[in-house]
Amino acid sequence: MTSQVLYQEPIEEAIASLETWIDNHRQSNLFREYTFSSRSLALLLLQKDPSLWSALKQDEEQCREVEIVLTVAQNKLEYPVNLAIAQTRQQQARRLESIVLQETKRTQTSLTETLHRFTVNPLTGFPLLVVILYFGVYKFVGEFGAGELVDRIEGFYEGQINPIVNQITAQIIPWQSLQDLIANDYGIITLGIRYAVAIVLPVVATYFLMFSLLEDSGYLPRMSLMLDRLFKSMGLSGRAVIPMVLGLGCDTMATMVTRTLETKRERVIATFLLSLAVPCAAQWGVILGLLAQKPAALMVWGGLITAIFLAVGYITAKLLPGSSGGFYMEVPPLRLPKLRNILTKTWIRMKWYFWEILPLFIWASVFIWIGRLTGLFEMIIRGIEPLVAAIGMPPETAPVFLYGFFRRDYGAAGLFDIQQQGLLTGNQLVVAAIVLTLFLPCIAQLQMMIKERGLKTTIAMVLFIVPFAFLTGYCVNLGLTLLGVNL
Amino acid sequence: MNALSTVTIGQSQTVVHLATDQQNVMRKLMALGIMPGSSLVLEQRFPSYIIKVGHTRTALDGETAASIFVE
Amino acid sequence: MNCHQCPKNNCTNQKSPGWWKLFRKTPRALELSSQDAQIALVGMPNVGKSVLFNRLTGIYVTVSNYPGTTVEVSRGLAQIGEQNVLVIDTPGMYSLVPISDEERVARDLLLKTSLTAVIQVVDAKNLGRMLPLTFQLIEAGLPLLLAVNMMDEAHRLGLKVQQKALAVELGIPVILTSAALNQGIDELKSALAKCLPSERVAIPA
Repeated sequence: MTSQVLYQEPIEEAIASLETWIDNHRQSNLFREYTFSSRSLALLLLQKDPSLWSALKQDEEQCREVEIVLTVAQNKLEYPVNLAIAQTRQQQARRLESIVLQETKRTQTSLTETLHRFTVNPLTGFPLLVVILYFGVYKFVGEFGAGELVDRIEGFYEGQINPIVNQITAQIIPWQSLQDLIANDYGIITLGIRYAVAIVLPVVATYFLMFSLLEDSGYLPRMSLMLDRLFKSMGLSGRAVIPMVLGLGCDTMATMVTRTLETKRERVIATFLLSLAVPCAAQWGVILGLLAQKPAALMVWGGLITAIFLAVGYITAKLLPGSSGGFYMEVPPLRLPKLRNILTKTWIRMKWYFWEILPLFIWASVFIWIGRLTGLFEMIIRGIEPLVAAIGMPPETAPVFLYGFFRRDYGAAGLFDIQQQGLLTGNQLVVAAIVLTLFLPCIAQLQMMIKERGLKTTIAMVLFIVPFAFLTGYCVNLGLTLLGVNL
Repeated sequence: MNALSTVTIGQSQTVVHLATDQQNVMRKLMALGIMPGSSLVLEQRFPSYIIKVGHTRTALDGETAASIFVE
Repeated sequence: MNCHQCPKNNCTNQKSPGWWKLFRKTPRALELSSQDAQIALVGMPNVGKSVLFNRLTGIYVTVSNYPGTTVEVSRGLAQIGEQNVLVIDTPGMYSLVPISDEERVARDLLLKTSLTAVIQVVDAKNLGRMLPLTFQLIEAGLPLLLAVNMMDEAHRLGLKVQQKALAVELGIPVILTSAALNQGIDELKSALAKCLPSERVAIPA
């Protein structure tokens, strides 16, 4: 027999009467599917377990019976029933721990302890946060991943693979239109796979590598506690820091992880901000690459997106009813990450990501092909050209916004192509980058939003995001023109 | 009875009271081992409260920490 | 933290990601018959449930150094003794009364699934804080085993756990493990084997 915890007298009395009551109702709909013992179910009822009580409430008679038992017990106790129960367990646990756990030496301040202090002390912690973001995100992912790596892989792809593909297709497929499906400017291999492999993958890989490192070292919870106050102003808590940082890698993954947030309100705000103002790695990586030569343009883009993130968060928090959940988080010890674990994790995430986006990129190529063949695309592009012109863009960018609908990063990658041709001014680049960042999330993220938040909420968010993105683009363009700024 | 906002940092304290009428806050604190009778060390207050119970560190915001009273 | 868990949930991949894995995993999943034993890994957040799941099943689920990494249930097959056993990894929970959504996932799984064994994973360094959940699982009448994990870190802090005394006091099997270092896994498996319904033993006439 296993040892049971004995609770205070009034609680044991309540358990006894509830146990009898449960045993009598064991076959009812309420308890039939439960595997727990009657004693355990009685304790759950006494602790006001939300799901058991909501089931119980369907029958007012039953509900009253249980409530009476609970009230009788409560009146005899000094503390609330659930606190009394927890205390008894805790005392028993502590007693048992003192029997079975021996501390042989006093722990002295170790290196990890010193490091921990360094990460959470405001005087050192905030500068450290900035340093990590600068080197980890900007230098490593931005300059190395999105700059160096993309340049090389892209250069190799365009220089070595595309000509061969074009040549082979030209030889084996006699029809020009079918050749265009596979090769040439918009082909599956020359455009779809090239975007995925040469532009998106290097950025995402470097970001996930960096994220895994932060994850395994135990730094992320420390980041959460450092940023809790800032996030509170947006109706979120420090808990939302992890999804947001993950969102800078992949918004789809991040939307799924918003599940760890406590209140529905927090989850809605986090999902909304992720889809509006948190660009994924592929997207900001490409944008960083685009704007790298123009530091002022980069500052305008970064500053504006951050400002929108904070302002929209602040306003949403004011408008949405309810309060933000409290912040509590265990802070695990700092650990030296194991290289193997980091590589495995990065690999798994990349694999997931790659297989998630590759079909979309291929489909996009196919749609573009069909669209161009039937002239449908021309029509749509014609249709959005005035819109594009309104935000000061050359007509060549219209397709980019159309592609951006398939995936935000696909749009960004298209922008990359146009910029390579030298068609855009600094102002136009900034406006396009801003609109594409704010614009609709990719299809995968939309699916995840519907799954996690429901169709209605998702539609409401989309209905806000699309006009907002273009309106912001319009305002920025107007502002820059009026001020006579040339970035 | 003292609020956490007034106690000395780095000294062991015994919890005497949890002043909250929110079930969830209460449950959270209990789950983290913070309840009357348990001892804790306050490590810092800004930007978040950090509390150590046994070998466990927990970060809390000001409002949650305000419900903890020590001897 | 892990989208790649969605395809993984049911052993087979639902969508595009990793289509080649379909060829590897589906046959394994198909081997599972409805009579196979099911065991669940439960415990507070950040105690190493997912690492242990990796060790038992060989299936990778994301492991991180912060609480709340696992937000969904993962399932995988493990070979225990001669049998195939379905192992279920659950999100962390602090007590049987859930606070957040992912805790509810874990609790409801325990409440509504008939399990052959439940392994509660605890952090040796914080044993005292973890035991209240142990008491609740015992109260619920679940077939419980206790895996006292992170023994390596406990050693470094100068902590010693009296395995036998703990097992006697609780009245359940207790195994000491360091899942990250692959220590104690065999012991855990053999303790598990004892909980499983014995194979159709051929009784000699």
